Amino acid sequence: MLTEVQFEQLYNEHQKIVYNLCLNYVLNPEDAQDVTQEVFVKVYQRFHQYNSASASIKTWICQIAINQSLDFLKAKKTNKRFGFLTSFFNPETNEPIEAALHINHPGIVAEDKEGFDNLLSIIYTLPDNQKTAIILTKIEDRSQKEVAEIMNTSVKAVESLLQRAKQSIAKKLTDTEGL
Amino acid sequence: MNIDNKLDALKKIKQVEAPPFLLTRIKQQIQNLGNAPAPVKWRWAFAASAIIILALNISVFFTRNSSATNTGIETVVSSMNLSNSNSLYNE
Repeated sequence: MLTEVQFEQLYNEHQKIVYNLCLNYVLNPEDAQDVTQEVFVKVYQRFHQYNSASASIKTWICQIAINQSLDFLKAKKTNKRFGFLTSFFNPETNEPIEAALHINHPGIVAEDKEGFDNLLSIIYTLPDNQKTAIILTKIEDRSQKEVAEIMNTSVKAVESLLQRAKQSIAKKLTDTEGL
Repeated sequence: MNIDNKLDALKKIKQVEAPPFLLTRIKQQIQNLGNAPAPVKWRWAFAASAIIILALNISVFFTRNSSATNTGIETVVSSMNLSNSNSLYNE
């Protein structure tokens, strides 16, 4: 069990990593705060399960952050699906209106916003593993070896995920930007 | 279009600090964990289990009371035409 002092120290050492990792998944600060909160509560609850032989504390906390972020996105998708049944119909055409993805990443400067928002919205639609591989390598600039450790997989598997993710992104960019 | 160049540009996204009030919120949630009542699903599961166990006990109780007076061993004895007396000779 962590003491309050130990927990605060752990939080101070890892809050920036966790908050930014969550932000790269959920793409706005309000949701990132909620997910970060859940991450550290889980860290506190599960600290007795942490095994230093299997992973560093930073890797373990990143794994929790990734899982919480993906769970958050799944829950958000489920809520959207139910909302579809009740109120999300265009009254004129009777066709479903999709809620716009709320992208408000505070780490993006204004001049890059339009291009990055489009790219991030495409990354958002990738399968979980591909999304994680892209976020960890391309946004967080981690090595493939580090990504493999966090994702608990091999470097080859990470390379394969990146390859497939890039193909999907390239195809969707071609469709949206006509490039 | 070079997809790698486009994706590499994402490294320009800056890291930001978490808001300072977040630690207070986290500590508050951890404190509330100890006071939280059991989740509703658990309460329903407990209630259903208690009812099933009670119903089983009641049915066993009534079944036993209304069954034949012969005990199990006497039923075996009579069905196998065995004698329940101690006399060794059939007198």
